[in-house]
Amino acid sequence: MEPQRMDKADFITSLFLSFLGLAVLVLSLRMPTFKNLGANPYSAPGIVPTILGIILLLLGIILLVRSISRQGYQLKISFGGMIELVKRRSIKRLIIALILSISYVRLLGKMNYFLLNSLYILLFILAYEFDFNERLMKQKKTIIIAFSEAFLIAGSIALVFQYLFLVRLP
Amino acid sequence: MLQGLTELGVQLTQFLTPRYIFDILWSTQLGIIVGMLPGLTATMGVALMTTLTYKFATDHAVLILICMYVGAIFGGSRTAILINIPGTPANAATTVDGNPLAKQGRAGEAMGIATTGSFLGSLFGMVMLAVFTPILGNAALNFLSFEFFWLTIFGIIICGTLTAPKDPLKGWISGFFGLFVAMIGMEGMHAYRRFSFGNVDLAGGIELLPAMIGVFGFSEILMVMKQPAIKIVSNKIDKVIPHLRDVLRYWGTILRSGFIGTIIGAIPGVGEDIGAWVSYDFAKKTSKHPEEYGKGSVEGLIAAETGNNAAVAGAIIPVLSLAIPGSAPAAVLLGAMLIHGIRPGPLLMIENPEFVYQVVAMVFLATCAMFVLGLLLINVFVKILTIPRQRLMPVIFSLCVIGAYALSSRIFDIWIMAVFGLIGYAMKEMDYPVAPAVLGIILGDLLDQNLRRSLILTKGNIIPLFTRPISFILVLLILFTIFSRMSWFQKLWQSLTGKIKK
Repeated sequence: MEPQRMDKADFITSLFLSFLGLAVLVLSLRMPTFKNLGANPYSAPGIVPTILGIILLLLGIILLVRSISRQGYQLKISFGGMIELVKRRSIKRLIIALILSISYVRLLGKMNYFLLNSLYILLFILAYEFDFNERLMKQKKTIIIAFSEAFLIAGSIALVFQYLFLVRLP
Repeated sequence: MLQGLTELGVQLTQFLTPRYIFDILWSTQLGIIVGMLPGLTATMGVALMTTLTYKFATDHAVLILICMYVGAIFGGSRTAILINIPGTPANAATTVDGNPLAKQGRAGEAMGIATTGSFLGSLFGMVMLAVFTPILGNAALNFLSFEFFWLTIFGIIICGTLTAPKDPLKGWISGFFGLFVAMIGMEGMHAYRRFSFGNVDLAGGIELLPAMIGVFGFSEILMVMKQPAIKIVSNKIDKVIPHLRDVLRYWGTILRSGFIGTIIGAIPGVGEDIGAWVSYDFAKKTSKHPEEYGKGSVEGLIAAETGNNAAVAGAIIPVLSLAIPGSAPAAVLLGAMLIHGIRPGPLLMIENPEFVYQVVAMVFLATCAMFVLGLLLINVFVKILTIPRQRLMPVIFSLCVIGAYALSSRIFDIWIMAVFGLIGYAMKEMDYPVAPAVLGIILGDLLDQNLRRSLILTKGNIIPLFTRPISFILVLLILFTIFSRMSWFQKLWQSLTGKIKK
């Protein structure tokens, strides 16, 4: 990431970190001490989280001050800029991988593991290799490889993990 | 000494059965493949293997994990030499001279030298592991809660400083974030559910392995898919077995890099990548031909590969003696030992001394397997690098999913893997090292228990936390590590040392 964008990212992170530190601090201070049950007050569960909350808050403030001194607060977020970002090939590749992988996790346990795994591998390969502008017949090899790999790998994973490593499948 | 050697011999012979030899060979080879593939790290390989071998006998499972670890750190050198991309972060220093050698048409020679360097580094580390684990373990018997509290803080600070040399603030943020994550769930003294907001799954805490698979697996998949496709520089491999004189010429570099790699590896959470860089840097500074570095220096390549593989054994030293990991893969190894009922730490040498020598024997066998496989099967496995990433990454993600699920059979753990994968990706994009966060997750419980125990012992008085001799030294080290990164302190230090020299 180039320095200017990093300062902006640091500014946003510092706000998140300061908020996290503050939230941890408040929640920790509200934790019970179990004094009423005769417990030692220094065994209270909130002691260490309170210290961590203070440290996270301090680190967040240091990062915030540093990013402000480097003009990181000038975010200049625009709709056009966001569209430009999404149009980048690298971001497109990232979004495809992200959507497919999260959808896969979302569907786990809701459909047959072998089918879901095959479908995931198949769609992942086709999403990056299939060209909608090319004729279908010209991409015969890509499709055959994608189908073969999807079913062979998904089948192997299911069999090896279930019967060799004795793992229950999701 | 003699008793130690006898015990090592006994443990070695125990592993020399066809079944164990078969397991050593396949797991080391799998480790080499994992290390070779960009996007797959040693940590992820060891984490996945942990979940898959948890029903195995303890010695069997730990042997497979150590073979995977040693193999993966070595395997990354293949990718570093051939495509100028380190297969694992530990091989980043290998690219500097390994890839120029490949471009000169000396890829085979470079791989042979890297293999020999890794072998010798690993052997050196193994000797240090055998010698220093009992010594450190005995010294750690004097540690009380006060010292363990400061040791965890020192681990986080030094790990944050060394893994983020350009911006240590980010390393420290990462470490303390990890410590906070470790606070989630039921605590050990009153069974109070912290930060779980009534969620039953969160009340059980964040499991280390799914989080690590996410941080080192899923996030890497996203990174690899975002980057442009990589091209192999040379898949023509010439002679691989190096000349003995080439190796002997650099015996000084090998010994020094082995020593540095082991020491750096033993520092909590720092890991093999820093071990390789520091060894490389020292080799360059003391070399008779520093001008050759970066242009295909054999000495530089040997230094980097000796350093990173020596760090593997180095990272296991604090695992066994203090129950504090020296690197991210060693953290998984520590988790695996705990899963299998082994209690690493100062009491290990008293309760289970033969286990230490068992681990030394495992490192030795893994090292030998790595050397043989590394020299013999180069041409066959280099072809794996030609598999397009879009065909490999979905398979890796399927393994991440099943690996996260295997331990407790909870879909929640798969979500933990996915969420930590996204957090890991964001951290890497913004230059936050992930190793301190992982170390924080591991050390969080140790910090929590020991601070509260100390306060109970002293009835809330914090003075003894600073005045006990070892605690005092640790506090000074922590302060020095923090202040040494600040410009005013650096100027003050330079002026002071300048005056002393005058």
